[in-house]
Amino acid sequence: MLISDEATNGIVLATEKKSSSPLIDPPSLSKISLITPNIGMVYSGMGPDYRVLVDKARKVSHTGYKRIYNEYPPTRILVQDVARVMQEATQSGGVRPYGVSLLIAGWDDGVEPETQELADEGLETDAEKKKASGKTGGILKGGPSLYQVDPSGSYFPWKATAIGKSATSAKTFLEKRYKEDLELEDAVHIALLTLKETIEGEMNGETVEIGINSTPQELAPKADQHDTGIIGAPANDLLGYEGVEGAVGPRFRKLSKEVRSSRLISTTSDKNQDVQS
Amino acid sequence: MPGFDFSNHNRNAALHAQGVPLPKATSTGTTIVGAIFDGGVVIAADTRATAGPIVADKNCEKLHYIAPQIWCAGAGTAADTEFTTAIISSNLELHALSTGRKPRVVTCMTMLKQHLFRYQGHIGAYLVVAGVDPTGVSLFTVHAHGSTDKLPYVTMGSGSLAAMAVFETQWKQKMTREEAIKLTSDAIQAGIFNDLGSGSNVDVCIITAEKTTLMRNYITPNQRELKQRDYKFKRGTTAVLKEKVITREEISKYVTVHELSSDDDVVVVEKMDIDA
Amino acid sequence: MSSPFAINGGACVAMVGKDCVAIACDLRLGLQSLTVSNNFPKIFSYGDVYLGLTGLATDVSTVSDLFRYKVNMYRLREERQISPQTMANLVSTSLYEKRFGPYFVSPVIAGLNHKTGKPFICGFDSIGCIDFAKDFIVSGTAGDQLFGTCEGLWEPGLEPDDLFETISQALLNAMDRDALSGWGAHVYIIEKDKVTKRLLKGRQD
Repeated sequence: MLISDEATNGIVLATEKKSSSPLIDPPSLSKISLITPNIGMVYSGMGPDYRVLVDKARKVSHTGYKRIYNEYPPTRILVQDVARVMQEATQSGGVRPYGVSLLIAGWDDGVEPETQELADEGLETDAEKKKASGKTGGILKGGPSLYQVDPSGSYFPWKATAIGKSATSAKTFLEKRYKEDLELEDAVHIALLTLKETIEGEMNGETVEIGINSTPQELAPKADQHDTGIIGAPANDLLGYEGVEGAVGPRFRKLSKEVRSSRLISTTSDKNQDVQS
Repeated sequence: MPGFDFSNHNRNAALHAQGVPLPKATSTGTTIVGAIFDGGVVIAADTRATAGPIVADKNCEKLHYIAPQIWCAGAGTAADTEFTTAIISSNLELHALSTGRKPRVVTCMTMLKQHLFRYQGHIGAYLVVAGVDPTGVSLFTVHAHGSTDKLPYVTMGSGSLAAMAVFETQWKQKMTREEAIKLTSDAIQAGIFNDLGSGSNVDVCIITAEKTTLMRNYITPNQRELKQRDYKFKRGTTAVLKEKVITREEISKYVTVHELSSDDDVVVVEKMDIDA
Repeated sequence: MSSPFAINGGACVAMVGKDCVAIACDLRLGLQSLTVSNNFPKIFSYGDVYLGLTGLATDVSTVSDLFRYKVNMYRLREERQISPQTMANLVSTSLYEKRFGPYFVSPVIAGLNHKTGKPFICGFDSIGCIDFAKDFIVSGTAGDQLFGTCEGLWEPGLEPDDLFETISQALLNAMDRDALSGWGAHVYIIEKDKVTKRLLKGRQD
């Protein structure tokens, strides 16, 4: 079971790593995968099928896009490419459909003029209201977007959703908790609370996996603090090189075990407060 | 690059047989160098691209990204160096993603040589491959026919003799980072000033275990003097027979996507008018 | 037989100005020394991006049609206009695909980036090597002459009207010293919210 939240400045993917035996080595299990520097993916269903799809998604992002346009595909284009792979398996001879549902979280640069946006904000007094009602993500506007892809090859954009075993109850929980103008910090929080609601057994840094997609640096007030657990900036330090004009770090990353543990502690205290109030 | 399209090849070969000369490809008549120092490796290049005797680009980029800590300097046919490094970079990224490890310089060098050998020298890429990986610091040269060398200091391109003259007189073992930067940029400047195929500026890339630093136009010894006066024409100088102003509205008439606010109860507004 | 790049003749040039770009071409179509047409424009528009193509006329037509197809497919798939930078990479990869049997064309791209509004020009050789220039790009049989006129006349920060005079004079004077190009010219001045296309009066010999 895994859930995902879209915030105004990013997306969270959160999932439970279930191990059937205490003998299993948890760090070697991983459900969240990086596809491109800005797109991450997670699944519910058959692990082996997922690994094949991850390989295909990574490959198609290069052969079908980067090797032509010298840039990574926008989220929607990648989702369509992955969905096509899955659809073809439903119609081809000698193969069975892929036994997985996917959540794909991406961040796009957008192509609308920057100056226009600034002018609009200046003119409109209630810019806040506009931001809240306007949909985020997409190729034109830029920002975070979240898609679910099913074995049939159909795909849907979501603001927040869950797939897997207790998806229905998790979605009900998310419906209550989700607000339009969430900050990424709140989104992580809600994602973990939702997981907690539906998970049986202990929840700690070992048993949950979190992937986040963050905003551009200029919009993030607390830049380059992500390694301290504060989320918001693209990881320019993860780029590995400097001096290249226009190069920005990856926007999608998985949170380390330590950071995950500290997040979980904060949900525990919050929950107690909820009960009290 | 499985995917070359040979559909024009027969036509062009027939033309060539009739005495039609082959097209002039941009070549990076170049000086490129690399040197290992204590704790890393540095590569450098000039920035001139030529087409025959004409300077096609006065400030081109000859240092190519392969992976965060593997970079390549390219000489020879400019398009070939650009695309060969891009395809290997792409394959190496997919490889790194699926293995979950940092890519190695030998892997990169082997992929390059196998690719180039397959094309028997017809892909005119002459490369200096440098990088740092978990096995340590590496520096290689790869020739268009697929041969490779592993040396502590290397030069390539038409200015390689001028650059090697500097290396052979000044190179020493266990240089510091600063010494290596000075030596490689001196070698490039020897090429810039003594080889006609090389010119303009010096680009440098330093790779250490910690990070990679690209210094684009590290030295600019050939800055053009600003024009003292201008040749601006008075408006209306040129005789115009016809004029047409096309506004933004008309330009974007082909496909326009209008985003609607979710609270309005409106249907799709997609105007599509391809090649009207 | 002469080089395929010089059979039909033609010239194209692009320049950067202040918040604007210009691209211009001649109108001649010839067969060696015989002029066949004086109305063969070599600039093609793909939404906000302009592509100039000089070289073998048959390849100019083929390549312009190929990119019309590719850009239309891009628009339909992505529901957005192609940016000049993306177009440059598309042109580059498409030409390099034919590395061992190239189209005999020398493309030039000019446009403004929709997001940043920054001017963008670039040129290519026939196998797709991109020349990113900050000042001007030349191509065609008058390319050598254009290098001369542009180096002399171009200066940074030209306003649209001044850029028009500069690019027009650079082209006109280069064409007059090339027997294979000329017979009038088209000049596009591309600004943020309008494009001005002008037909120039040129020598008809």
